[in-house]
Amino acid sequence: MEHLLDVKNLSTEFNIDGTHLKAVDDVSYHIDKGEIVSFVGESGCGKSVTHMSGLQLIPTPPGKITGGEVIYKGIDLLKLKPDGEEIRKIRGGEIGFIFQEPMTSLNPVLTIGEQIMESIILHLKVGRAEARRRTIDMLKKVGIPDAESRIDDYPHQFSGGMRQRLMIAMVLSVNPKIVIADEVTTALDVTTQAQILELLRDIVKSMDTSLILVTHNLGVVARYAERIYVMYAGTVVETGTTKEIFNNPRHPYTIGLMNAVPRLDDPKDKKLVPVEGLPPNLANKKDQCPFLPRCVFRTEECHSSPAPSLNEVREGHAAACYVDVSKVQNNNIVEDEVASSMIVGEQEKPIINEPALPEENLLEVNHLKMYFPVTKSIFKRKVGEVKAVDDVSFYLKQGETLGLVGESGCGKSTVARAILRLYNPSEGEINFQGQDISKMRKKVLRPLRRNISMIFQDPFSSLDPRQTAESVVGEPLIVHNLVNNRNEYTQRVDELFRMVGLDPALKNRVPHEFSGGQRQRIGIARALASEPSLIVCDEAISALDVSIQAQIINLLESLKEQLNLSYLFIAHDLSVVRHISDRVAVMYLGRIVETADWETLYDNPKHPYTKALLGAVPIPDPFIEEEREHVVLKGEVPSPLNRPTGCSFHNRCPIATPECKTIDPSLSEIEDGHEVACINI
Amino acid sequence: MRTDTSLGKNEVIDSPPQRKELKRFLKVFLGRKIVIFFGLILLAVIFTAIFAEQVAPYDPYAQNLGNALQPPSAENLLGTDSLGRDVLSRVIFGARTSLIVGIISVSLAASIGVVIGLIAGYFGGIIDSIISRLIDAIIAFPAIILALAIGAVIGAGMWTVILALTIGLTPSYARVMRGQVLTVKEQEYIKASEVIGANNIRIMFKHVFPNCISPIIVLITLNLGVAILAEAALSFLGVGITAPQAAWGAMVSEGQRYLVSNPNLSFAPGVCVLLIVLAFNMVGDGLRDALDPRLRGSI
Repeated sequence: MEHLLDVKNLSTEFNIDGTHLKAVDDVSYHIDKGEIVSFVGESGCGKSVTHMSGLQLIPTPPGKITGGEVIYKGIDLLKLKPDGEEIRKIRGGEIGFIFQEPMTSLNPVLTIGEQIMESIILHLKVGRAEARRRTIDMLKKVGIPDAESRIDDYPHQFSGGMRQRLMIAMVLSVNPKIVIADEVTTALDVTTQAQILELLRDIVKSMDTSLILVTHNLGVVARYAERIYVMYAGTVVETGTTKEIFNNPRHPYTIGLMNAVPRLDDPKDKKLVPVEGLPPNLANKKDQCPFLPRCVFRTEECHSSPAPSLNEVREGHAAACYVDVSKVQNNNIVEDEVASSMIVGEQEKPIINEPALPEENLLEVNHLKMYFPVTKSIFKRKVGEVKAVDDVSFYLKQGETLGLVGESGCGKSTVARAILRLYNPSEGEINFQGQDISKMRKKVLRPLRRNISMIFQDPFSSLDPRQTAESVVGEPLIVHNLVNNRNEYTQRVDELFRMVGLDPALKNRVPHEFSGGQRQRIGIARALASEPSLIVCDEAISALDVSIQAQIINLLESLKEQLNLSYLFIAHDLSVVRHISDRVAVMYLGRIVETADWETLYDNPKHPYTKALLGAVPIPDPFIEEEREHVVLKGEVPSPLNRPTGCSFHNRCPIATPECKTIDPSLSEIEDGHEVACINI
Repeated sequence: MRTDTSLGKNEVIDSPPQRKELKRFLKVFLGRKIVIFFGLILLAVIFTAIFAEQVAPYDPYAQNLGNALQPPSAENLLGTDSLGRDVLSRVIFGARTSLIVGIISVSLAASIGVVIGLIAGYFGGIIDSIISRLIDAIIAFPAIILALAIGAVIGAGMWTVILALTIGLTPSYARVMRGQVLTVKEQEYIKASEVIGANNIRIMFKHVFPNCISPIIVLITLNLGVAILAEAALSFLGVGITAPQAAWGAMVSEGQRYLVSNPNLSFAPGVCVLLIVLAFNMVGDGLRDALDPRLRGSI
């Protein structure tokens, strides 16, 4: 059978300073007309480079396509000149590419109409008037309101989600046969992600276009893809239909990924099973199974054999593994316990009676308000206020984890920064261990900082690139004079390194010599150094790969138990928050709209926004996804500059009544510990 | 790079393992042939400047009008100037003046400018406004007029040149540093130090400063050349190096009258300026990379 796109044995190398990086290693795949195929894998596994190579879009040198064929409509694309007429017709015209960053992939000095028309005129050879008509049609199709007038707007006048719609319009306006969507929703919020993916699916289905969805998010894959290629270290390790793969995964890496991801429908005490170790270095690859060092199913045979190639295990399902995972029993497995729990899928922890929480609150935030003035002209005349946080109250007890969730711009990070006094709160109280720190002078506050630490989102920018790991971790010890001499210092630093699972021998390295997960461990060690009672985790794991996320979540949980820590856990990933939190607060536009213990909140959400958020999170299971009802929240988060009157959610709310426009609801308790800010509950 | 040593009581603990750092530094620094090459040139020039009396074949001030404007010969390798003085000897002695003027004025300007820029950028607000306007005022004032004014007060000479150059070059360091600080200050690792409880001095010198130095090093290497050439301009205007003293800039401008008949008068010191500026730039680049731990292992 003829495939629309048939890639055979594609290999790409990068040649940097004498080392050969095999970014794509003998990858074969095919795409048929009108199907949605997903490429899953963690960062650096070669999924983007594979598609770039097919269109000869990789920079050469240092990149080099070393072999294979890419057959499209009977032509081998690799035989065409990289910047010749023919391949340029195919790029954009026949095969479209949508990139991850909607903010940078549009030219800021041209109107969006101009940019979309440009590609229509170029590829479809039509006149300007016709191109403009088609552009407006396309804008309407991707859901841009008032397309006729907005066609002459500039990119900065659109939000991130809208810009991603524009990119989709631009790519699809020339009727391509294949669209490659490279992590298109990674930079977006869950509700926007759902909007964009639903839109993308509907459009490609109506146009009979094939869609290649490159992503690391298993939930997205389960909800939208029909067929999957799982990639690891530049090779395809498993392929099959979505249902087959989720139902009957055969490669240890696929199984590992599925067990590492927290799911909305997990039992609470499920211990995540991280994929231990790090992805391999692609330089100077040996001819051996690349997953071998991290594999729990490895056997002697794997050590002595060359890298396995894809073997069909069932009709249309192939895996690159010597071991038949489905038949492996507990014996001859490296780590019995872990592996068996992987096969069973979940292992219940014995239920321990949790120690009763103390009476008094460790942290109590009362009516916190954080307004930023908006000024105009050189005289800094105040013309308005951004109410980033508007009257937020919550409490946290010693040993407890409070999850704070919401989409970007809802003010959750601002809350964190106000608590740490990186901002000076406009109003309200922050009582920490009985003292109000909201207005304390910075000098007076400094010694108290020992007791509150923070773990930052980005493990790359939160560590000083010019300091060694040792001095990063040791800084709190010096600042607060917690050690008396060099000896004690070294001992304590080593102890901290071991606590977070790092080898103290690495401490003389500088941050860039560590991987992302290791860097985040350094950040955690720094946060622990002064023996704080509260740690604020601001999106602490969202920048990490899924297999690493599980490692860090487990680390945070075990540290909490060992040291009786309290976490204020801020995140946008609802599944992670559910996994780690005791209580959860949902924020929307600077306010808390619902708060409850995790179980109530996730099983019995009351506020329409909470319901919408939960509905937008895809569950990595195609069977459940099929059953689920997909209510996509309309519109976007309004700017906090002009907050809607009354309930700020009323313009997107499915159950809004006319009163919602005028009545501003406050949190009211509907049952013990469950508070909701909605008048229609 | 180690900077302020009085940052806290625990400074002994604070310093990273020095020997290892030094080893790594040298490995990167000496890992490039071009850096070694120009480093040797730089060392040679500095050596000649220090031991000018021993190296120079003749007295650079001995005039011999009967032997004026001679082309290069076995006795006078680079010929003689309009007063019959040996050009080679003058170039050798000139190295001393030029290096002193360049190095002192640039290091003064860099130290003052960097501190000013650090303070302005880090504290911001009203402090920043005052400092920035002052810097603007200095920049707006023509450097030549300033130099003439200084010359009028303290008389012409090497120190006038140094003072004028220092004042003239300082604003650029302050500006560059301020800009760097503004970017670095917003980085999360600075927020992280603040959260830990580090005080301003510590954050400024231990975290902000080391992350701002790369462009400063580049600016220093460029300015060394600028300073040596500016000395020529000031000498030409009569506020610079006074008559018999040899300096490269002054020699270039003296020689231009005989550019057609005796090009070596200008060329010899000119080539020296070119070489030394190039050497400073190359060594500066090597230094910048060797000091940057982010480039570890990638070179």
